[in-house]
Amino acid sequence: MTDAAVSSRQSFAARIWRRTLDGVGVKLGLAWVGLLVFCAVFAPFIANSMPLLISRNGEISAPVLNYLAIEDVWILAGFFIAVAVSRLQLSGGSKFMLFLAGTGVAALIAHVTVQPPALVIYDDFRSAEYTQADWRIMPPIPYAPGDYLRDLGSKGLEAPFASDSHLHWMGTEENGADVFSRMIHACRISLSIGFIATGIALAIGIVVGGLMGYFSGVVDMLGMRLVEIFEDIPTLFLLLTFVAFFGRSLYMMMVIIGVTGWSGYARYVRSEFLKLRKQDYVQAAIASGLPLQSILFRHMLPNGVAPLLVAVSFGVAGAILSEATLSFLGLGVVDAPSWGAMLDQAVKSSTFNWWMAVFPGGAIFMTVFAYNLIGEAFRDAIDPKLSRRGGSES
Amino acid sequence: MNQPLLQVRNLRTYLRTGGEPVKAVEDISFDIAQGETFCLVGESGSGKSISALSVIRLLPEDIASHPSGEILFNGRDLLALADAEIRAVRGAQIAMIFQEPMTSLNPVLSIGEQIIEALQLHYPQMAMDEAEQRAVTALIQVQIPNPGERFRDYPHQLSGGQRQRVMIAMALACQPQLLIADEPTTALDVTVQAEILRLMRQLQDDTGMSMLFITHDFGVVSQMAHSVGVMQAGRLVESGLSPDVLGHPQHEYTRRLLASLPENLPKPSKNTFPSGQNLVWAETNKAQHHQGGLHSPTASSAVGVAANSLLPQSSLPADAVALEVSKTEPTASSDDVLLQIRDLKVWFPVKKGLLRRTVDYVKAVDEVSLDIPRGEIVALVGESGCGKTTLGRAVLQLEPVTAGSIAIDGQQVTGLSQRELRPLRRKMQIAFQDPQSSLNPRLLVETTLTEPMQVHGIGASRDERIELAAQLLDDMQLGREALWRYPHEFSGGQRQRIGLARALALNPEFIVCDEITSALDVSVQAEILQLLLDIRQRRDLTLLFITHNIGVVEYLSDRTVVMYKGKIVEQGMSAQVCGSPQHPYTQRLLAAVPRLVLK
Repeated sequence: MTDAAVSSRQSFAARIWRRTLDGVGVKLGLAWVGLLVFCAVFAPFIANSMPLLISRNGEISAPVLNYLAIEDVWILAGFFIAVAVSRLQLSGGSKFMLFLAGTGVAALIAHVTVQPPALVIYDDFRSAEYTQADWRIMPPIPYAPGDYLRDLGSKGLEAPFASDSHLHWMGTEENGADVFSRMIHACRISLSIGFIATGIALAIGIVVGGLMGYFSGVVDMLGMRLVEIFEDIPTLFLLLTFVAFFGRSLYMMMVIIGVTGWSGYARYVRSEFLKLRKQDYVQAAIASGLPLQSILFRHMLPNGVAPLLVAVSFGVAGAILSEATLSFLGLGVVDAPSWGAMLDQAVKSSTFNWWMAVFPGGAIFMTVFAYNLIGEAFRDAIDPKLSRRGGSES
Repeated sequence: MNQPLLQVRNLRTYLRTGGEPVKAVEDISFDIAQGETFCLVGESGSGKSISALSVIRLLPEDIASHPSGEILFNGRDLLALADAEIRAVRGAQIAMIFQEPMTSLNPVLSIGEQIIEALQLHYPQMAMDEAEQRAVTALIQVQIPNPGERFRDYPHQLSGGQRQRVMIAMALACQPQLLIADEPTTALDVTVQAEILRLMRQLQDDTGMSMLFITHDFGVVSQMAHSVGVMQAGRLVESGLSPDVLGHPQHEYTRRLLASLPENLPKPSKNTFPSGQNLVWAETNKAQHHQGGLHSPTASSAVGVAANSLLPQSSLPADAVALEVSKTEPTASSDDVLLQIRDLKVWFPVKKGLLRRTVDYVKAVDEVSLDIPRGEIVALVGESGCGKTTLGRAVLQLEPVTAGSIAIDGQQVTGLSQRELRPLRRKMQIAFQDPQSSLNPRLLVETTLTEPMQVHGIGASRDERIELAAQLLDDMQLGREALWRYPHEFSGGQRQRIGLARALALNPEFIVCDEITSALDVSVQAEILQLLLDIRQRRDLTLLFITHNIGVVEYLSDRTVVMYKGKIVEQGMSAQVCGSPQHPYTQRLLAAVPRLVLK
């Protein structure tokens, strides 16, 4: 057996993944998303007003750790669990389950054990008495997103590099907080709302659409009525209503965007599956007695997924924009910064401050673009006709 | 009028698709005299359609070029004409009809409008009344019943044969001197094909037009052609008067093509094989000896019969052998039935209205009873829409059965849940017609072959299953490295082999072969048919071979079942059914088959 044959002997998923990475555009896209993930996970360590490490009177402490919020802890835990799990020799499904379980446990433990101080006065960390230390290590950006720098007499809306005394890479917003710091912390919302809302929508859409398309008949008829009902729900008004009743919560937003946004995916999957189920190779799979799971997800889905991927890359962008819309309406998450809310601030301030619009706007653009690049590469990877045969021919 | 109507001289057509130019037509020359039919015949990709399109200059000019050659039509070189001039020739003096009647008519215009449009394009001064009159006349010419009413019909209201008639009517409306027909009957049933061919001959007699007739079917050639050109890989390897070329082929390729026709394929009982196929056959015989002792005792009687017909009996003609078998057959088959179908109905409801009430049924398969004896090849013959494919799929429970029962090996197949059905799936498999859609384009051949094995617990490890799959490909005369390729890297014939390998992966007793050779060229068809006989022999298979090709039936099958409008109208031993058909429909079907039997 030749080397080429051996290298082809990977699982379906591994081959797809290898071929997805086989391009420049997708690498850039993944690099951007990777950067976002890094920023989102380590935001408290990148941009914060308190020192990472400080030594006072020979006593070394890490104030950042003391002030970590509950979600900071479980995002960190989730990240390290994901890294650890991906190194294990397990199948994709069990890896995912392990990751979910681990993160769940970590979240539970964080909720019980982590009790950050209810009130943080950032000014204290710059007080003369606090800075009297042997040495201290500050984060790269020494401002927390919610630190309005009142003690420094900030008047807000300071352009980048305008002040000599305090360096602000991207300037400050109207309340005086550092824009770069807010940008970094806002990665979390944009990433998570895009991934999770679209993930929820996609999971529901593929299952419902797949079953409709595969079984057709009565299942299809009932499913389509369900799709129509969900299409009639105005997502924005539902979000507004929920915000009014239950307050502002990022997670609720994700679930609502996800639960109401699957109908389009379901339609795509349904129409593809209706077309595919009469294909001879699907009939052959049925005739071979393959389990339904394999017929649906191995023989049909990869052949019907191309239009879905384009829809998904727009869906992720749409979810980010939905959140931006809500924030724009002033109904977004209050305490945490988001790119949408920052754009909103740029519009609202009396004068046009370019740094308030360019950085968050650019970030949204880059993110949507990155998802598009990845989606496109993935679409090409699952089409063997388009892929260059990675080494197995040469 | 001694000058031929069309003279093609040293025509070359090169196509630029991507990098290298494809030499689609290399230096061909032929003449078509007034009132004569010239048939261009060859396998797919031989350049016959490109030649025809070159004549009428329908190839896109940005990709096609003619480095040399001239096409003299009435003495004028068509290649030298300007665009406006060639448009005046096209349709008016040279008309063309295409293969696919379903797509060559515009679905949103009535057929009358389409004929009138063609007329008005070439005779702008023609009055509407006259155009309408001539369109109706054209429809009368092509024998459309009630042309006055059908005139306002839309294409979807017509059958395939009628659409092809309308296409011919459109082509003839302007009274062209030359009609180019590109596989005009390939998509049609044989009985319809016979009618269309008869019509075209009659129209030629009436109008004195010439025809350039493109086909891959030598039976059609023998009926239509005055002279024939055989094309291979862009070259005209042989041309001449039809009786000469068909009767005394000079070129090696022509001889090979003619020998590949199923009616000319050596019956398994004869020893005269065309060159190149000897090898296959020698292997088969070897395998037979090899596996002789492996047959199970229950199957031995059927195998005995099958092997009997395979023994060299060169003194007897093939028909006589089969007849002899048929005399001894009934007693043997009655107690060794592998597949038993009783009163099978597959009805598709026709639903209408707001509440989707069922107003009627399409009776695709209606009260069919059929016994398939173990170890035999049963051919299921019929025209498109007669329910033969539905029957094949219903056997495998790929179509819901309305009523009736199907039993394999005494076990009921109908009325089982998917879970209960799964162990039975191992016993019966299916191979499909269309090489394009029969394999999952996203899966390696290896996955396609080993996944069913894994599900059914064949082979202890992945490596063992891969080894089994490799052996299957060996059996199919494909290399092992085919395992690590995707379906789009194979030709149609190779894909059909992989499709067969997949059907064999579970080591079934029974395979439904649904028109597996219909989409293939004759030479590839011949290879697949021989391969099929070979594996059937080695693996003791029972086949339900669905086909519309009578030649294939005669070559391959032990028994023949004829279906018409959802019912079985005749069944019996193949030699009997094909030799002396009893039912009027069978007689009509057999009479319609164009044949070309070598002397």
